[in-house]
Amino acid sequence: MLKFILNDQEVTSNSKANERLLDVLRNEFSITGVKCGCKEGECGACSIILDGRLVNSCMVAIGSIEGSTVITIEGYRETKRFAVLDKAYASVSAVQCGFCIPGMILASECILDKNPNPTEAEIREGISGNLCRCTGYNAIVKAISIAAKEGKGLW
Amino acid sequence: MVNCYNPTSLKEALDIIAKEVVTPYAGGTDLMIDPNENPTYLFLNKVSEIKNIVEDKEFIRIGAACTFADVIENELTPEILKEASSQIAAPAIRNIGTIGGNICNGSPKADSALIFFATDSKLRLVSNRGERVIPITEFYLGRKKTTLEKDELLVEVLMSKNGLNNYYYKKVGERNALAISRVSFAAILNVDAGKIANCMTAFGAISDVIIRQENIDAMFIGKTIEEAKGVKEEYLAEYDQAIAPIKGRISAKYRKTVCMNLLHDFLESNGI
Repeated sequence: MLKFILNDQEVTSNSKANERLLDVLRNEFSITGVKCGCKEGECGACSIILDGRLVNSCMVAIGSIEGSTVITIEGYRETKRFAVLDKAYASVSAVQCGFCIPGMILASECILDKNPNPTEAEIREGISGNLCRCTGYNAIVKAISIAAKEGKGLW
Repeated sequence: MVNCYNPTSLKEALDIIAKEVVTPYAGGTDLMIDPNENPTYLFLNKVSEIKNIVEDKEFIRIGAACTFADVIENELTPEILKEASSQIAAPAIRNIGTIGGNICNGSPKADSALIFFATDSKLRLVSNRGERVIPITEFYLGRKKTTLEKDELLVEVLMSKNGLNNYYYKKVGERNALAISRVSFAAILNVDAGKIANCMTAFGAISDVIIRQENIDAMFIGKTIEEAKGVKEEYLAEYDQAIAPIKGRISAKYRKTVCMNLLHDFLESNGI
């Protein structure tokens, strides 16, 4: 039995300590916004925010997160910051198939949380672990800089 | 069934590893790629004593469970290690991957280990039986083989406080982010009162263990830059003999050529 905070709620997991957090989120908690792309930390589709930092949930054994705070897209979408990013992404058609987007949005949050006025280079660095095979990134980069302007004061 | 331990102090962790067969787990970014069927993990991410970066008179002491992000963000970290850490993987990996894991995983492609070779850093290994501080060059026996005893933990890396500013670092990978090194090279050269005080080079990702040839680098020590130029050909010939890359996903010939080019560039950037 292991307790952690999942999207603002204290939860208990019965999974074995060596299970991937990605699998536990999807199978035990039906949190399907985390996507499985590679299981080796290369694609970012399973990104979550763990204790305030962007992390690939496929790289985390559940036993290591006792007492930690996990935010997935399901929790994040309730925030004002999400609403700004959502609108910005839509405004430049930054979403096509959508598989990378939950991770991409959480990466965007971590970029802006650290630095509310990022340069283009800083944005590209911040999403460098999140692969997108549809848009070619330019629209996503644009969306994040629009969100930085539109969301002044939120970050 | 117990299949993990969550110690919160180093003593607790050492007591467990002294008695049980466990796999130390720091950040998990290497372990989780190819996990054992039924591992018993000793989670080290809540052992606060090994998560600090501090300095004493001689050394910057970096806790083994410091993440690459911790290293990059800390003002005590030498620039050479910051630069190499910034080029590892991507932010989400740097946020949990640790330098201790990078070293103990035993890969010659470990980008932080390369820096510790090129800076003659030391490792502090601790068990309930006592502790030992060894140069990192004595830690590796082969690919995935280290001298770490079953009841020991890597606790700290000790980097020299001085003399690391004039460095050279190049990581050659297939892409900018998330790249595994195909060849990596780090070096330091210091001139004191007109003479080369030290020259330290290290080559990563080309053989079972990172290559550090102190005997060859010693050719420059005590010489002026002009005198070093005089023995440059001999120095390069020695390295040409010493570097015998193994074939991996890319050819040994490519690796060798890149190594020699980087070595040339390092020397030229220092006027040699």
